[in-house]
Amino acid sequence: MKASHTAFLVVALALAASAALLVGPVPLAVPDVMAAIVGAGDTETVAIVRTIRLPRVVLGALVGAGLSMSGVALQATMRNPLAEPYLLGVSGGAAVGAVAATASGVLHPFAVELAAFAGAGAAVALVILVARASHAPASSPALVMAGVVVGAFANAAILVVLAGAPAGAVRDALWWMMGSLNGATWTMNAWLAAIVAGGAVALWTLAREIDVLSLGGDAAAALGVEVDRATRRAFVVAALVAAATVAAAGLVGFVGLVVPALVRALGARGTRPTLRAAAVAGAALVVAADIAARTARAPAELPLGAVTALIGVPFFLARLRHTA
Amino acid sequence: MKGEPFVFLRRTPIRPFVPFPDARAALAILIAAGAGCAATACGAGARPPIAARGFVDDFGDTIAYGPAQRIVSLNPVTTELLFAAGLGSRVVGRTHWDHYPPAADAVPDLGDGIGPNVELVVGARPDLVLLYAGGSNQRAAASLRAAGVRTLAVRTDHIADLARVAAAFAAVTGDSATVRAADTALATVDSVRHLPRPARPLTVVWHMGEPPLYVAGSGSFMGELIEVAGGTNVFADVAAPSPQVSVEEVSRRDPDVILAGPETARRLPQSAAWRTVRAVREGHLAVYDTVLVGRPGVRIGEAALDVRRLLFPHAARPQ
Repeated sequence: MKASHTAFLVVALALAASAALLVGPVPLAVPDVMAAIVGAGDTETVAIVRTIRLPRVVLGALVGAGLSMSGVALQATMRNPLAEPYLLGVSGGAAVGAVAATASGVLHPFAVELAAFAGAGAAVALVILVARASHAPASSPALVMAGVVVGAFANAAILVVLAGAPAGAVRDALWWMMGSLNGATWTMNAWLAAIVAGGAVALWTLAREIDVLSLGGDAAAALGVEVDRATRRAFVVAALVAAATVAAAGLVGFVGLVVPALVRALGARGTRPTLRAAAVAGAALVVAADIAARTARAPAELPLGAVTALIGVPFFLARLRHTA
Repeated sequence: MKGEPFVFLRRTPIRPFVPFPDARAALAILIAAGAGCAATACGAGARPPIAARGFVDDFGDTIAYGPAQRIVSLNPVTTELLFAAGLGSRVVGRTHWDHYPPAADAVPDLGDGIGPNVELVVGARPDLVLLYAGGSNQRAAASLRAAGVRTLAVRTDHIADLARVAAAFAAVTGDSATVRAADTALATVDSVRHLPRPARPLTVVWHMGEPPLYVAGSGSFMGELIEVAGGTNVFADVAAPSPQVSVEEVSRRDPDVILAGPETARRLPQSAAWRTVRAVREGHLAVYDTVLVGRPGVRIGEAALDVRRLLFPHAARPQ
């Protein structure tokens, strides 16, 4: 990947983050926003910048980076450009947890987040158990298949829960499934940052194994990699990172699928450079998409997951055409 | 209130020996407690939450006592209540759905009340935000609090919740005008409740919307309105506020009357499926005023009268 492309992604992230801090439903002057970042100025401006806009930008960046790195690891490990975190049961499991928590009306401050993370964890464990039970020689197709099946089961479970839920809970659950950075808090960001950073370190450490796995199961085995175990490790790390993002912001579709493809189209090769570029590009995409989500139809917000796709797809298609 | 205990809050310790920090607020709580219970049949255990540091709301969060001059009301019920209490001039923000009284339209529209736009709310510079205590509002409440805005979240699902939210506002701000406004409405509800009951039960289905078909269960104020007006909700055995049911189930339970919105009432007689229901075939459709009965607000008394009139068009009116 050329240095100019890397610089482009970093500049894009910086621009998106600055714009996200400056733009919002309450008009604030640029110098006021800059002063508020360091805590100077009137109380309302400081509150808006430091407790509403800034945590939201940080959450967007973490979600984008987490989903994109997760997608890179999964696509390389499975040798399948269609592999993405949501395809492997993570989103379905998280949604079952979140919807069950919403429909039950539990009022713990982090009930939905914890339930979503627990649901995703359960789904990932189930996917691994199903894949192992299948005794398939190469574990990747078995994992993909198990993920799709667990996801389908999760969808059915969601429909059953929602069918008996009051109208208000159905609306809440639907909004959750559309993804949103609304209501980001520093507490949640700290948790998510720890998990995304931990995941990044783990994937960085696993990068050599993932590189070899992307050559194919036989080649990897010939090079001395325990294919099943290495695949499972990468899968678990990628899934847990994705699960944490889903717990924090709901389902933000498309990022984990297309950002890895985008950075490869920009020339990223090898797991580590691709991880690095995808983290930056994913962060920039989600932060930029959130600006549109909260301003396009203010005071109402658009579903973030839809906006990431609306912004990302044309960009991706243009890039494909350029490469071809 | 039938089967509805007047539970003020969860997990709230009542600490009788803690000196109260603000005598005015203490007085307001006493007034609120008395008045709130007068109008509704609240149980003997009903007590306002008293905690040293502040009022504990339905999310279990503590709100500091103190007057409110700039109020953002993100619940149509509280918007109506504030205007009815003569505090409309203090409301500096409302939801997109608050159009009553007409004066409320002059208040800035801040968007949704469930999943509100937190930045717009903070931008309105409120010293108190009134929020509906539904699950998806918990994040908004946390954000608002982080931004230093006092936020009072109260559920308003039942008729008795009107007295609860009025008392909560009075306890927090020391201003009991809301309690008097709620009392007036709930006194009307009580007068309707004490009208003569029919000799034979009149069975009713409250059609809330379709598709999917939602009807009022016993967990909503609409189900309660049927009972207040002297009817019998055939779905009272379902505890959910708005259960989803099939037309066949409605047909099986064979209600005498279906309460429906104007659109629905026009559509049902044309539907082959709905014509399996006796009440539809016989034209026993009562058209409710969607705006009037849409929320358990200060017009709940009028709503109760309206439902009474719909169910028993020839019966005596309350004196």
